[in-house]
Amino acid sequence: MKCRNVQKKFSPYQDRELEPREQEQVRNHLLSCRACREQYAELDRVWQTLGELQEIHPDPWFYRQVVRKIKEPREQRLFPSLQWAPRLLPAPVILFILLVVGILTGTYLGNILSQSNIFLLHYEQASETVFTSMRVFDPAPPGTLAEGYFRMVSYKENDSR
Amino acid sequence: MAKIAEGNQEAFEILVNRHQTSVLSLIYRFIGDRTRAKDLAQEVFLRVWQSARSYEPKAKFTTWIYRITANLCLNELKSSRRKKWLQFLRFGDNLENTVEETLVDDTPSPEDLLLAKERSRQITDTLQSLPENQRMVLILKRYDGLSYHEIARVLGCSVSAVESLLVRAKRTLQEKLKSFQK
Repeated sequence: MKCRNVQKKFSPYQDRELEPREQEQVRNHLLSCRACREQYAELDRVWQTLGELQEIHPDPWFYRQVVRKIKEPREQRLFPSLQWAPRLLPAPVILFILLVVGILTGTYLGNILSQSNIFLLHYEQASETVFTSMRVFDPAPPGTLAEGYFRMVSYKENDSR
Repeated sequence: MAKIAEGNQEAFEILVNRHQTSVLSLIYRFIGDRTRAKDLAQEVFLRVWQSARSYEPKAKFTTWIYRITANLCLNELKSSRRKKWLQFLRFGDNLENTVEETLVDDTPSPEDLLLAKERSRQITDTLQSLPENQRMVLILKRYDGLSYHEIARVLGCSVSAVESLLVRAKRTLQEKLKSFQK
């Protein structure tokens, strides 16, 4: 077995996850190849070092804590902070506050949007639409010089506003 | 589990006592916070109690409980990313308690205690530096002795994915732990 192929199998070999035949092949290769043996030994040292991390043990009262958790009301378990936070405001007051905040936010956003170009553009387009529909009664037919003049005048009026 | 489904608390207590150490250890090794690990371990058994009626023995019980534990660990990481700094502050205190608890029976010297504490800290720091999926696979393999197939079942992935994750995790650990071995 070539060293490169053996080294690819180091991890499953270490974990004893190879087929028995492959496991034997890798083992035999390690016995005969010093370089692979040293490389595998490094991997093994890492594995051993991890073993120095001790497991922790639960407190003697762990089971009682579990039972207490089972008996806790569901709301407290889902939102533990509710247990400690005092209920300052009744529901109608909260609804009123939300309504006021919503109205104020909507008004503020509406003011911003009305001052922005988006609305202005829409206004200009709307003006143009009204103007165009009124053209039915206009003595200057579309496409004529008079029509162009009237268009120019209407743009100037919008700019001056 | 059938007895627990009927509300038998004695059976539940036996189950908790049998699995509490492995569950708590897995969670602690994964998230590195002892206090939070205790909370989550309780949560694991709470879910076991709640799910007892719907439990079907399709696989080993340990696979099922590990799956609950792993899911809770991964969810915990997602929800606590913003509080990483707080975890880091807590970790030092928890580690001291851990070392005292595990070494007190051997009454080592103060120097040995310090060295063991430092080694544990370095190992845990290194584990914490691994990506979540590599970390979980490594812990399940190294400390809980699960096979690739069992790990794949716990995490809901393929055996080849488990193998690949372990290879990468070991490679990373090899680089990071080289200095500890000198």
